[in-house]
Amino acid sequence: MRGLIKNKKGSDLLQQYVIFILLNLVFLAILLTFISSKVRGVAVLEESYSKNIALLVDAATPIMEMKINMEDAFDTAEKNEILRDEIVKIENNSVTVKLSADSGYTYHFFNDVDVTVFADVYPNKNYIIKINGYK
Amino acid sequence: MATNNFFKNKNGEEVLSLYWFAIILIVAGGIVGMVFVFYGNPYDVRDIEANLLIDKIADCISYRGKINENLISCNDVKEFDFSQCHLNFDGEEEEFFYKVKIYQLEDLENPCFEKNGGNLNLEASYAINEFSENLPTGAEKSFYSLDNMENQYIIKILAVVRKIKQNV
Repeated sequence: MRGLIKNKKGSDLLQQYVIFILLNLVFLAILLTFISSKVRGVAVLEESYSKNIALLVDAATPIMEMKINMEDAFDTAEKNEILRDEIVKIENNSVTVKLSADSGYTYHFFNDVDVTVFADVYPNKNYIIKINGYK
Repeated sequence: MATNNFFKNKNGEEVLSLYWFAIILIVAGGIVGMVFVFYGNPYDVRDIEANLLIDKIADCISYRGKINENLISCNDVKEFDFSQCHLNFDGEEEEFFYKVKIYQLEDLENPCFEKNGGNLNLEASYAINEFSENLPTGAEKSFYSLDNMENQYIIKILAVVRKIKQNV
C-alpha cells in the first residue's frame, strides 16, 4: 500500500492529501447527485406542482389570471418527450400534472370554478391559470 | 491505529484512516436517510386546504363585515346550503367536514345558527388528532360580523380535511 502513491522523491505527503481530497470530492459529488435526483425526481415534481396549482385555484376568485413558473417541470417533461401543452390538465375539479409517459399526479380542488390552463408562449417556462367564472 | 491506515507516509503519520471514511460514511448515511424521510413522504397540504375552505365559507356568508342575510340569518330560517358558496366536493365528499356556528354577542354559549356539511365522522377524529398524524387535520377560525340591523355576531367556522393517502 505504501508504494502505491509514493513519488520518486519519496515526498508522498502532498500526493496523499490530494488523493484524499479528490476521494472526498468524488464522494460529495455522488451524494449531491443522489440528492439532486431525489429533489428533482418526476414523482416529487408532479406532486408538488399538482398540489400547488390545486391550492392556487382554491384560493382564487373569478377573473383572476395566475402565472406559475414551472421551469423544472418543463425541463423534465422535455427530457421525457412530453409536450408543453400536456403537462397540466384540469378536469372535473382535479389538477393532473404529467411529466413522463408512465406517471402523473392528480389532486382535487373544491372551488367550483371554470378554469383554463395553458403553457405560456415559447420559450417562457410558465403555465397560465385563468379563472373564468363560477360554474 | 496502524492497522486502520489506508495510506501512511514515510514518518509513519496517518494520512488516511478508516476512521475518516467511517465518519464520512456516517454523515453521508445521515444525509441520505434524511432525504429519504423528507422526500419519501408526500407534502402535507391539509392545513392550508382547511384554512382555504374556511376563508371560502367566510367570504360567502359575510362580506366586508356584513352577514349575507340572503343566505344565512339568525332571525329567520333560511335554506342555506354550502353549494351556494361555490364549493364542489364531487367524489371527495367523505374527505371533508365543515361547520358554521353563529353566536349573538350576548350569548356566546348557544349558537343562534348552526349548519354543517361533509363527513360527520371527521369532526370527532379531528378532536383527537393530537394523538396521531394519521387522523384528519383541520382548522378553526372565528370572526366578528354585523347584520343589516347592526346586531353583532361572532361566526365560528371549523373545517376538517382527511385526504390521508395523499398527504401522510
